[in-house]
Amino acid sequence: MSSDPILRVHGLKTYFYTFAGVVKAVDGIDLQVKKGETVGFVGESGSGKTVTAQSIMRIVPTPGKTIGGTIEFEGRDLLALTESEMQHIRGKEIAYIPQDPTTTLDPVYSVGKQLTEVIMRHQPGSKKYALAKAVELLHSVGIADPEIRINQYPHELSGGTKQRIAIARALSCDPSVILADEPTTALDVTIQAQILELLKDLKQKFNVAMVFITHDMGIVADTCDRVTVLYAGQVCETGTTEQVFENPKHPYTEALLSSVPSLALKKEKLSVIPGNVPNLIQPPSGCRFHPRCSYAKQVCIDKDPELESIGDGRLVHCHRWKELDLKSAVAS
Amino acid sequence: MSQRIEQLPTRPRGVSQWALAWRRLKKNKTAIAGLAIVGAFVVMAAFDRLVALYPPKCIVGLSPACPSPDFISNGPPSLSHPFGTDITGYDVYSEIVYGTRAAFLIGLGATGLAILIAVTIGLVAGYFGNWIDNLLMRVTEVFLVIPFFLLLLVFLQVTLKFAPASTGGLWIVVFVIGAFSWPGAARIIRGEILKVREFEFIAASRQIGASSSRILFRHLFPNVLHIIIVLLTLQIATSILTEAAVSFLGFGAPGSNTWGQQMYTSANFIAQAWWATLFPALFVTIMVMGFNLLGNGLRDALDPRLRE
Repeated sequence: MSSDPILRVHGLKTYFYTFAGVVKAVDGIDLQVKKGETVGFVGESGSGKTVTAQSIMRIVPTPGKTIGGTIEFEGRDLLALTESEMQHIRGKEIAYIPQDPTTTLDPVYSVGKQLTEVIMRHQPGSKKYALAKAVELLHSVGIADPEIRINQYPHELSGGTKQRIAIARALSCDPSVILADEPTTALDVTIQAQILELLKDLKQKFNVAMVFITHDMGIVADTCDRVTVLYAGQVCETGTTEQVFENPKHPYTEALLSSVPSLALKKEKLSVIPGNVPNLIQPPSGCRFHPRCSYAKQVCIDKDPELESIGDGRLVHCHRWKELDLKSAVAS
Repeated sequence: MSQRIEQLPTRPRGVSQWALAWRRLKKNKTAIAGLAIVGAFVVMAAFDRLVALYPPKCIVGLSPACPSPDFISNGPPSLSHPFGTDITGYDVYSEIVYGTRAAFLIGLGATGLAILIAVTIGLVAGYFGNWIDNLLMRVTEVFLVIPFFLLLLVFLQVTLKFAPASTGGLWIVVFVIGAFSWPGAARIIRGEILKVREFEFIAASRQIGASSSRILFRHLFPNVLHIIIVLLTLQIATSILTEAAVSFLGFGAPGSNTWGQQMYTSANFIAQAWWATLFPALFVTIMVMGFNLLGNGLRDALDPRLRE
């Protein structure tokens, strides 16, 4: 586990040049993923989780542009690669599991055709072999009767099955990193649990590193080795799941944890974080969280804090982390 | 793994979107009627010598191939001439049958060209967007703004002047109709591409490392193909109608045997022989109706919003 990171993102900046102004969707994000580990990427809507994943794969939609930072993957700088070199990384080295399984499969092709498309693209070989591998993959993601499913079309399948197929597609070329973008959000709760179990199993089996994008702290606690908490396109803090959950160092993490419903704690009302995600065209001065932070002081308004290393591999993006004694609402 | 290869069954196969569309089309009576009409015309064009009563350009009573006691110009419908004869003495029914091929030539030729231009422009503009889209759509709008029919007449008159009638005057008509009837279809296809482009599966194919051309031809094109098929069917009807109108006004290819040309030659004598004008017009109407019914049926069958 202590090996070098396989994926290292540093100071990533992806801005969207819209008519209303420049949206700083991702503004200096750091992320490190080691071989075989699962990193949770947590934040509310609009905090830059998906845009970070898109930036890593270099598929940011227009008018977005990655304008700063470095993305190092197995020692290669992804931002320096040409588009055609990048096409050999996408799907083969870094795979993506999208959010909404209902629309990720092309309605005009059968399941087998869509899986073999990826396999043939990255591992040229016979069609028969690709098809056999597709059946094998469907089997490993827990689909019953893969031989029948392979000939079916997306509209004949349920949402859960489609998500399993999307996962199979992501695994099809033995990638070293999988970016899972809220893979369970569009599914109902029982299927969610099944998919999470499946992802955990597959991670063990394929020894693949995973970036798990979610806004659900419960999922993070369940699946991730380390967590990175995002707010308004910046990192709040990073640490192992235990560290962050038991001993949060950033006020936002504290607030986030106390807004998780819990059976153990009897609370009258679930606490919420006041205010909204800031407008990223003109983000707040200083620390971006200060308008909603209950510990904010003058320095937080005036100056943007450094992303400080505080030992044990933890990073914190707060002026006052030393003085504050934050409590975790979910610490056992 | 080798075991699994053997296990791959040939059945049951999944039901593709096309199979579903065919099932819906079969249930639609008017669409099947349209298909039957079009089918009948295909048979008529393919076996025109068998369907017709007399050889082409056979003057009743003068040519040895169609014997008759005397020359009948503008003869009324009778047993030997069900639709009568025209001013030249041709059997109207047989000439209509021989005109079917020309109708298909115009319908398929002009539409083929128009849809080819429309698909190219629609795909490129919709997929690449930005200034390419802007440029292509402005060009398309120029074509939409100019009065299509008037321009067509002028263009035909000029081109036919320079081209001798013997060397495929009809092809010029086909080319000109095709070259001017693509803008509407181009806009529809572009709009559809703009919609499909935003679907998650297009993003997904980029995520698995597919190239631009692969996304364009293997994912975008098949997903707008149903729109193209409907546009194609309806455009065939429009092209046939346009040619008939152009010919009837006297701007068609001289010497070609189309239904419009037949109406044009006979219209002057409509008081003496209404049948020589009416029956070609009737056939234009039936064929156009056939393609329109089929087109509407296809649209209903292929439209995802109408799916149960």
